[in-house]
Amino acid sequence: MSQDLKKYDVEIMALSKDTVKDAAHNKARDGLNFTLLSDPQLEVIKQYGLEHHKAIEFSSGSFTLFGIPLALVPSVKKMAIPTSIIIDEKGIIRWIDQADDYRLRSNEDRIRAALHETFG
Amino acid sequence: MATVALGLVSAGLLVVVVTWGAYLASIPKGNVAARPVGSIILQLLGVGLAIVGVTWPLCEGGAPGVGLIIPASLATMMGGLFLFLLTQRKTPIGNIKVSVGDKLLAFASQDSDGNSFHSDSLAGKRVFLKFFRGGW
Repeated sequence: MSQDLKKYDVEIMALSKDTVKDAAHNKARDGLNFTLLSDPQLEVIKQYGLEHHKAIEFSSGSFTLFGIPLALVPSVKKMAIPTSIIIDEKGIIRWIDQADDYRLRSNEDRIRAALHETFG
Repeated sequence: MATVALGLVSAGLLVVVVTWGAYLASIPKGNVAARPVGSIILQLLGVGLAIVGVTWPLCEGGAPGVGLIIPASLATMMGGLFLFLLTQRKTPIGNIKVSVGDKLLAFASQDSDGNSFHSDSLAGKRVFLKFFRGGW
């Protein structure tokens, strides 16, 4: 998918409720070469109407054995509903995709098709 | 008889732990199953084995000892947690404040280097803006 983004000269910006510190950590850990934006107070997320109130997250202090949770503190957190938006060079929104299951990412084929339709 | 019970409980715990591990491994790879039927079945199996194992001594007129209760509880809690989390996976979409054709809503934020960011800097650029849930 990154080839299509390069082909159409599209910049990726990924925003989440992660703090600057967590975002920097994730960017380094996953070797990401695009911009991560931090919205820890969910201001932008709320502005766009993308707040998910009941998402469950394992909060810090979990005890793991080989990365498998043995003693967890699951808590209800607020976070963004996974949403992808394609914006053209005039600042107009051309495509929106929202996940109705927060475990899943946007389907790559769908994104590729949308990019092609918008900028092809 | 004690070995059967212990074997069942251990098997149950092993199934639960391995299923959890496989599921968690699929997350960074980005191929989480949309309908994780196999994982659900395995978690139910693991919990089932653990419960059968821990109640096994009762059939002999005995009682399960701590050596059975602890791993059985662990298996049941972890398996139960997995199944419960899956019931909560649907997101409440429908409140989104923008539609196709709208201008993007101007916003301010910070990038991962701590620099201020404003969406005005995106003028003239094509952007794929992804809102995601954040790190695990």
